[in-house]
Amino acid sequence: MLDARQLTKTYASVPAVENVTFSLAPGQILGCLGPNGSGKSTTVKMLTGLLEPTRGNVLFAGEDIRKDLVGYRKCLGYVPEEPNLYPYLSGYEYLEMVGLLRGMPAARIRKRVDSLLELFSLYSSRHGAISSYSKGMRQRILLIAALMDDPKVLIFDEPLSGLDVTSALILKNLIKSLGQQGRAVFYCSHVLEVVEQVCSHLLILRRGEVIAYDTTSAIQNDIGRSSLESRFMHLVEAGDTEKTARDILSAMGEA
Amino acid sequence: MTSPLGFLRSRWKEHSQRPFLRLVGLFIGRAFHGSGDVDGEELDFSMGLVLSLLALPGAFYSILLFDKYGSLLQWMHGNRHFDVLTAALPDEYFLIVLSMVVTGVVAVWRWDSIFPDRRDYANLVPLPISTRTIFLANLTAIFFVAGLLALDVNLASAFLFPFVATASQETVLFFIRFSGVHTLVVVLSSLFSFFAVFTVVGVLMTALPYRLFRRISLYLRALMIAYLVAMLSTSFAVPAMLEHLPQTPVRFLPSVWFLGLCQWLRGRAGLSLADLGKLSILSTGCLILIAIVVYAVSYGRCFKRIPENIDTIPESNRTGAAWMFGLLDRVVLRSGFQRAGYRFVLRTLLRSERHSLVLGGFTGLGIVLASQVLFAAFNGKDVGIGTPSAEILSIPFILSYCIIVGLRFAFGIPTELRANWIFRLLLDKTMPECIPLARKALLTFVVPWVLAVVFPLHVYLWGWVDGTLHAIVVSLWAALLADILLVRFRKIPFTCSYPPFRDSAIVVVVSYVIGFFVYVVLTSQLEYWMLLKQVRILLVVPLAVGIWYGLSRLRGALIDVDKELIFEEKTSLGFEVLDLRT
Repeated sequence: MLDARQLTKTYASVPAVENVTFSLAPGQILGCLGPNGSGKSTTVKMLTGLLEPTRGNVLFAGEDIRKDLVGYRKCLGYVPEEPNLYPYLSGYEYLEMVGLLRGMPAARIRKRVDSLLELFSLYSSRHGAISSYSKGMRQRILLIAALMDDPKVLIFDEPLSGLDVTSALILKNLIKSLGQQGRAVFYCSHVLEVVEQVCSHLLILRRGEVIAYDTTSAIQNDIGRSSLESRFMHLVEAGDTEKTARDILSAMGEA
Repeated sequence: MTSPLGFLRSRWKEHSQRPFLRLVGLFIGRAFHGSGDVDGEELDFSMGLVLSLLALPGAFYSILLFDKYGSLLQWMHGNRHFDVLTAALPDEYFLIVLSMVVTGVVAVWRWDSIFPDRRDYANLVPLPISTRTIFLANLTAIFFVAGLLALDVNLASAFLFPFVATASQETVLFFIRFSGVHTLVVVLSSLFSFFAVFTVVGVLMTALPYRLFRRISLYLRALMIAYLVAMLSTSFAVPAMLEHLPQTPVRFLPSVWFLGLCQWLRGRAGLSLADLGKLSILSTGCLILIAIVVYAVSYGRCFKRIPENIDTIPESNRTGAAWMFGLLDRVVLRSGFQRAGYRFVLRTLLRSERHSLVLGGFTGLGIVLASQVLFAAFNGKDVGIGTPSAEILSIPFILSYCIIVGLRFAFGIPTELRANWIFRLLLDKTMPECIPLARKALLTFVVPWVLAVVFPLHVYLWGWVDGTLHAIVVSLWAALLADILLVRFRKIPFTCSYPPFRDSAIVVVVSYVIGFFVYVVLTSQLEYWMLLKQVRILLVVPLAVGIWYGLSRLRGALIDVDKELIFEEKTSLGFEVLDLRT
């Protein structure tokens, strides 16, 4: 359904992402992992069409997304990493605006938004200004905005950020169900346990390059380490985290 | 060995580092800059710019009085015994009202920044500073801001008005006395206005539950602004009513008390006016004392309880808004983009402080100019409103010009730039609907009041034909102005980074001034000439069609890339490298 081919993005001749290639089939949930600065967000932005690749392309149903960006985005639901919303709009007004921009009829917007607000426990505060929402509430507004037009492809960038335990559990189950329904899901996160539980496939990036791309079980078996955390640390060549913690403590004690 | 100046400088530096003065500085800065949420690319109003803008109305008004007080003109008019103090009474009253209105509007606009808020609580209370110190620092900042405002708003007129008014007098002493009394009166009236707003807010904050106060806050602001605007726009009628003191109800207007003070200090007040003058001093003193007490109480009640209160913005009136948007969706807004964009534009204009300020500022300027025209039309002239005159005809043009230009200016100021990702994600860059959207939003702020106020009022005053023709010409001209201002517009309002204004500031300001004279002065003169013989009004049709044709040719000449939707405004470089490789 979605194919990234040799995706490369350079900023002032410094590559942020280089030759990233993967496929996302219907029903697949592809987890994207990597330390800070590994190129996850740049990859996501290229997948959504917000950023144009320096080289390479993204194909949707075999066609370059640039040929019909609007058509592609009608099939796309996207939850960005930061909940950047207009604070003076109410949750309902924001979702209504998104629905109208997506070309949904007013009656369908009302029905869909009301039911999703109810399910995400936001119905009672739907007319309050977004500025008064907690981070978790804003995150849920973004999730509703991504889901409201029944998208075929979903791209989540840290979707659990700020969510309470119940909402996070609901979302994890929802993502699995979306995959079972045949939707393609690209899931970026720092939380290894969630990726391990939810994703069928894994893409691990380091310094803008793909260092592992396979099914989750295959990656677990290949490296032969006890937990995904230790496998991840091994792959991205992270330093000794315990030593860094000790160094911070000693720096705090210095005059 | 350090010089006395160096010693003083080092002492001041040492002193200014103390927590109390740092806090005072913080609160003063916040009163002018707001909560500091401005993004790097967004527009921030520096203190210098704000202070300059506030001084402008008084300066403009004083300069326009040259022809009234010029000794040569008086001599040419055959006015050999020109009494400055009598002639200056209406202008003195207008300047008192102007200073009260400008200061009052600023106090209403900034009242959220006057009181310490949730952010101050979160940042200051955890620090080792007592809440008493925070209270005293904020109170000091309030007094400093009030004094600064009172001086600034009247700074230009305190010099220019006496200079213009006393130009025909021979003694410097007369100028000094005239100027001293005028300055004292307008500064006191500004202080009165500021502390009146402050006291009303403080009393309501103290008396009402926090959520109720937040809910009515917007309506209360609107009510205060309406009162101030009404005071300004009726200022032309008040001086004539002073002859009937003490029976006339104008004795209840605080602005009249200050006029009484002015006349009393000049030895020109009758008994009633002198009493009102004394009342102005007494009321200002009392108001300042009440303001301090109310502030102390509201501080104790509200600031210390901030963590207990939920910060909410009043919920929108869903039914009313839904009905209005439903109607517009059926009649005016053709596509999903226009419907979404229109709602976004209206809500941003009404709820974003920065944008409502810009729109309010331009509208306020329009009201001041319109009041001035009305004031000049009636002041000393035998003008009847039963027949059209160029002055009366120009008032809707002044207001529509200021509103449309203000809106166009506000459209370029971004709001929450990082949140524009949703438009970037969902919209087609080649979509050509930005201009229709912006045009409809601009005309929303003009056509309704033209139809609801200008049309019936002029039909009542001048009859069906003249009233209808005037409303049509105003609406048509507003639509043309909107199209001219949007000729190269290719963004969704408020979603594009702000262009470096300083590069073209002078050109923009000069264009706006020239545009004002063409749109207001020439058009109202032309319309007056046309209404003298109504058949001449047909000339408007070829004129409007010609302008429209020119605009559409201009738009058609743009290449495709210049029509694409943009989210970033690029700086125009002094030179650029052309890549001419084929």
